[in-house]
Amino acid sequence: MTRLQKWTRMILVMLMAAACQFAMAQDVVLVVSRKCNVSSLTQEQVADIFLGKTSAFPNGASVIPIDQQEGTGEREAFYHHFIGKTEAQVRTYWSKIVFTGKGYPPIEVVPPERVKRVIRDNPNYIGYIKRRDVDSSVKVVVVLHP
Amino acid sequence: MPPFFRLEKKAALTLAILLACGLARAQEADHTQEAPPVPPVFSINGFGTIGMVHSSERRADFVATDLQRKGAGYSNDWSPYVDSRVGMQLNARFTPDLTGVVQVVSEQRYDGSFAPQVEWANVKYNITPDLSMRAGRIVLPSFLLSDARKVGYSSPWVRTPSEVYNLVPITNSDGIDFSYRQQFGDARNTIQASFGQGSAKAPPDNDITGKRGWGVFDTLEYGNMTFHVSYFRTRLTIEGTQDLEAMARLYGGSAGAALADKYGATDKPFEFYGAGASYETSRWFLMGEYGLINPHSAYGKRVGGYVSSGYRIGKVTPYVTYAFADVKSNTSDPGLPLPPAWYPTYSTIAAMNARLNSVLSSAPVQQTYSTGLRWDAYKNVAVKFQFDHSRLGDGSYGMLNNRQSGYVRGGSYNLISATIDFQF
Repeated sequence: MTRLQKWTRMILVMLMAAACQFAMAQDVVLVVSRKCNVSSLTQEQVADIFLGKTSAFPNGASVIPIDQQEGTGEREAFYHHFIGKTEAQVRTYWSKIVFTGKGYPPIEVVPPERVKRVIRDNPNYIGYIKRRDVDSSVKVVVVLHP
Repeated sequence: MPPFFRLEKKAALTLAILLACGLARAQEADHTQEAPPVPPVFSINGFGTIGMVHSSERRADFVATDLQRKGAGYSNDWSPYVDSRVGMQLNARFTPDLTGVVQVVSEQRYDGSFAPQVEWANVKYNITPDLSMRAGRIVLPSFLLSDARKVGYSSPWVRTPSEVYNLVPITNSDGIDFSYRQQFGDARNTIQASFGQGSAKAPPDNDITGKRGWGVFDTLEYGNMTFHVSYFRTRLTIEGTQDLEAMARLYGGSAGAALADKYGATDKPFEFYGAGASYETSRWFLMGEYGLINPHSAYGKRVGGYVSSGYRIGKVTPYVTYAFADVKSNTSDPGLPLPPAWYPTYSTIAAMNARLNSVLSSAPVQQTYSTGLRWDAYKNVAVKFQFDHSRLGDGSYGMLNNRQSGYVRGGSYNLISATIDFQF
């Protein structure tokens, strides 16, 4: 293989990896109930909700985040893209919070279909699902990036 | 019809019925309300560390805190007793606004035993979403990681820098505290006020008690940055030098009384000031803290600080840390004037002066350069390695305990540590 071919191959692999990352991030969306009147949140607000730093939407209504199971692609993509933390970092964060009695990580809801049903029926809940799983039962929240 | 077909027909019928039921159930599910998921009232969590540490100084013990009896160096070449511990926690969520926590930790104590101690035991009530109150035993958030310092998994290092985290001898407060959260634009401020009393036990069997303690701890979070300042004071009694105080008053007249007042460690105002900041992204962290204590006693006005930075490469986070401890008060004192050598109290007063000076010079003066790495090996398991090089100030034995004959103050020593931190 010539050097040029090697370089081309390497660049292609890197591009593909980047594309995967991008696709993965785009794949997951934040959803709330149709009865919930929140339609957009900043990235900071999303992080505050899922890291337990607030228990209310910016409009004052109480909010309860729900997580997917650890190890699912949705969860990894969500924390990477919306919170900017790896799963290990999130675990370390909660370790500090839980063992000082300050709070609890979000409740895990399985399977993903149940996430949608919980959110559909409970306007105070917020969760994330794959974009392709979005249907009329839930509303996608626009996340404003800084 | 041959039996085979009959069977198949039956199977098809069964399948059809099952399908129909399934569909009916699916439709039914679509119409019933999905109950909101509710966390369990009681839950149990745990954490622990299995650690080994080796010290190059063979005539004294390296210990993680002044409250441990034995360490690495003299007692054990490689000691498992310095960093190893296990903690169990019972959480209670009676309502979303009323919760409780009890945490019991087993680690090496003043007597070398691993008798479990209650680290946390309190009930928390959210008065409003931003104001909460706790009653019971809480761990004071003197520094950024103080209240979680025993949970190895939550920190980037093998252990929190001793130069800073060992400044405050009492870490628990039995009493009440309030926490108030405020939002200022993109910044969030949390102020915590604490009132209570606490105690600890140091080797060989000395009680350290703090009474009428109170403190204010403020944390400001802004983006990836966290700032922390704290003030704490208590009436502190450190057992171990009370006989010196009595002797000074007995033999020293007014000069003795002045000496006892200045250096005594009975019901003295103990003050602590701390400040720190951290910056953390998904890639790297940078943090630093500084603390000052004034115990108004022979234990001396002490300061400590550190800066640490790490960079995450996949599951591995290498880091470097620089830490120092220093003393800002006198480390010697002429003590009581000695009477003529033939006088009956001569030897008593000479011995008293010597002991006073030994306490005064016990304040650690040292600098430590550390490097290590954290490897997030498995879910909820972190493996860490750390190398420390400590240089002691002239005449100081730093944080080495259990010093044996032949130990020389000053100089330097190295540590090699390996830990496995886990949580469940």
